[in-house]
Amino acid sequence: MPIAGTGVLIGLVGLLLDEFLLYVATSWIIFGILAFSLDLVWGKCGFLSFGQTAFFGLGGYLASVAAINLAPLTGNNLVWIVPVGALTGACVATLVGYFIFFGRISALQGTILTYTFTLILWTGSIGLTVAVGDAIVGGDNGMTGIPALTLGLGKDAQPLGPLGMYMTVLVIAVALYVFVSALLRRPFGLVIAGIRMDELKTELLGYDVRGYRLVIFIIGGAIAGIAGALFASWATYINPSVFSIVEALLVPIYVLVGGRGTLVGGFVGSVAVGGLSFWLGGGVIGGQTTLALGVILILLVLFLPRGLIGTILHAVQRIRRRTRIPGVGPVTIMVPAGSSCETTPPEIVSAAPALETVGLSKSFGGVLAVQDVSIAVPPRGIRSLIGPNGAGKSTFIKVCAGMLRPKSGSILLNGTDITAEEPFARVRAGLAIKMQVAQVYPDFSVWHNLWLAGFARFRNEAAADAIVETVLPLIGLSEKRYLDGAQLSHGERQWLDMGMVLCLAPKVILLDEPTAGMTPDETRRTAGLIQRLAREAAVVVVEHDMEFVRMLDAEVTVLHQGSVFAEGRIEALRRDERVLDIYLGRRQSVKSL
Amino acid sequence: MQWDYLAIVALSSLTSASVLIIATLGLAVIFGLMGVINLAHGEFIMFGAYGALIATRAGMPLVVAIVFAALVTGLFGAVVERLVIRYLYGRLLDTLLATWGLSLALYQTAVLIFGSTTPGVGMPIVSVAIGRYSISAYFLFLIAAALVMLAATYLILTRTSYGIMARASIQDRDTAAAVGIETGRINTITFAFGTGLAGLAGGLLVPAFPATPGMGIAFVAKAFLAVVVAGPVTLTGAAVAAGTLGWAASATASYLSTVMGDIIFFVATILLLRAFPNGISDRWRLKL
Repeated sequence: MPIAGTGVLIGLVGLLLDEFLLYVATSWIIFGILAFSLDLVWGKCGFLSFGQTAFFGLGGYLASVAAINLAPLTGNNLVWIVPVGALTGACVATLVGYFIFFGRISALQGTILTYTFTLILWTGSIGLTVAVGDAIVGGDNGMTGIPALTLGLGKDAQPLGPLGMYMTVLVIAVALYVFVSALLRRPFGLVIAGIRMDELKTELLGYDVRGYRLVIFIIGGAIAGIAGALFASWATYINPSVFSIVEALLVPIYVLVGGRGTLVGGFVGSVAVGGLSFWLGGGVIGGQTTLALGVILILLVLFLPRGLIGTILHAVQRIRRRTRIPGVGPVTIMVPAGSSCETTPPEIVSAAPALETVGLSKSFGGVLAVQDVSIAVPPRGIRSLIGPNGAGKSTFIKVCAGMLRPKSGSILLNGTDITAEEPFARVRAGLAIKMQVAQVYPDFSVWHNLWLAGFARFRNEAAADAIVETVLPLIGLSEKRYLDGAQLSHGERQWLDMGMVLCLAPKVILLDEPTAGMTPDETRRTAGLIQRLAREAAVVVVEHDMEFVRMLDAEVTVLHQGSVFAEGRIEALRRDERVLDIYLGRRQSVKSL
Repeated sequence: MQWDYLAIVALSSLTSASVLIIATLGLAVIFGLMGVINLAHGEFIMFGAYGALIATRAGMPLVVAIVFAALVTGLFGAVVERLVIRYLYGRLLDTLLATWGLSLALYQTAVLIFGSTTPGVGMPIVSVAIGRYSISAYFLFLIAAALVMLAATYLILTRTSYGIMARASIQDRDTAAAVGIETGRINTITFAFGTGLAGLAGGLLVPAFPATPGMGIAFVAKAFLAVVVAGPVTLTGAAVAAGTLGWAASATASYLSTVMGDIIFFVATILLLRAFPNGISDRWRLKL
């Protein structure tokens, strides 16, 4: 494993350094661990946290208070401060994370919340002076006399010297790295990457995004807490400056310098910035280095936004990709008549509606976008939803999927009331949605896009593999399975998105303008695909294009100004003067409403 | 408790709220109209404060010095926009980090030039008596200044052709460009306007708060929180948020302690964000 080799190499370098440099270099690795925790939360899962130094500081403070008081009880052995730091970080991160993610606080606001949390600790800890047993938390003066890390046991156990501390911290860093990399293997890592690229889409595949985010945040908090405990025992001193604004902002700098989302980037950034400050003279912060750091930061953001490691990795990836693109054949959607893409065993079709809305209303700031809509959709077949711009079609679909909360009314899925359910829970209950703009993961291959959907449905890797192989030929992308989502054409993305919906094997499918922007030929093929879907599920299609609706040959519901205006077959509606009026904007019938 | 004590607490809390509004406006304009979080905002305030300081030392009257500070800071802001910010539009976090780098660099430069402490500008010594207490007239002037700044900014952005073009650019950059608005130039002007407001804040505040290289940090953290709590209706929202939070913190501080005041500020911020995940102005119908 390359990481083990790198670890040994850094260990060997340690043998060459003099004691002072060893001591300083140890702090770079400790801050590297802290930055690593942020890269997990931010680089891998997409949430920028300014709270890592809060978990770091709390871990440090609590582990130190415990170490001062309990060292004699544990025979002077202090290895246990590492789990104490981890536990502290994890517990606090659980509280903060639950508040942010389960409160569905938006990204920027959430980031600021972590920042505010750190500010509270900063302000609070400066004024706070308390004695906990033998430990004195001395406000602005900080806490002194923290025992150094001791591995041995008994009266003669000696605290670690600079070399021992360096090696211990290095081993812990490598162990954490190995643990996190193993954790991020598929499928968990794939879900996390999916959340980073497109949170909404991942939720609409049926993953509880809040839970995943919280788990990552807690692990990040635990790692930051470990770093804090190590820091306090390295410095034998800790003060409120660990919670300061400058510290909080320094951690993202380390990650950016190294490269966000690379995991090693945090370590590289910490060593690079720490080494630079050391070389320029003065501590990590303060002195003339601040000016140099500021300028370097601006230059990095402008000219090297991927960071040191990120830039190298990106270059390597581009070369690899160039050599790996397989032959690209013509794209065809094969809809073999009578052949099976059965994802659910055929059931006895009951007469009860699969999806039903009762008096559904939704308003935006006083404007009723959806007004008292009651629709029942049978378990098989297509229902087209048409209406002029602003008729409330997309809003209706979004309310059904749970992306918007209705003002009143209820939604029933197979007879169960799902009005209060979270979007992912609706998907798990069998409701799938494809939004107007195709939502595919740009950095995943076609295969992985589908796999993530399949795994969401079956929670089993083999079953997910199998459904991907079934769906690929149906959407005609077998030949392009290795291409990334970003490399597909507009139409292909729409089909891939529909393929992802197929992998969910849903009972009800909501499609919002699936043919927007397609050529007539692509539209015709899409109609074929939808008719195929309708044999096993209820499909609700929102459309503008009357020609396409005629092609689908389905029951039609006309929405106008948020209400159901008419229902019936398309031929009948085409002869209905009132329907023509609203489409052509003719006045007389509209007024008489 | 006496009426005069209550009155003086109310007035000094109102002053604190006004100070925060003055310090926040520039940040709100730049965030609201450009989607840029300017972490160097505090250093632009500091820049304005030193500008006013130097100008008064050179013999300018205070009022002229304040205007001079605003102009110089705005000009400097325009240069920064041309050199750095314009390459980072649409990259919220990158602008956050780049402006933080700028903040570090400006702070350290100020330390190198001015040292870490400088004598302030003498505050005009006129005070108003309220019962047994008195309050500096300059504080009352700051309350008025906050209201005038807010109203003027609002009018400039809603009633002038520049303001309408600027708001069009933020709503849909491509469409704005398509109808012939030079979005690049508008952005430079907006950034200069926002930083100019920061410079004006620095000039207004320097008689009441000593100019130090680190003075910006004290204001920017709270200003920043006010802007985020505000949500989509940036300008009015930020003024309301800054006013309310600043007032509550200051009132707490007069009864308990400054630390408790700050903690109240931060806790209130968290509770507001929990209650309004998209900011307090999420459902307001105001434009700005």
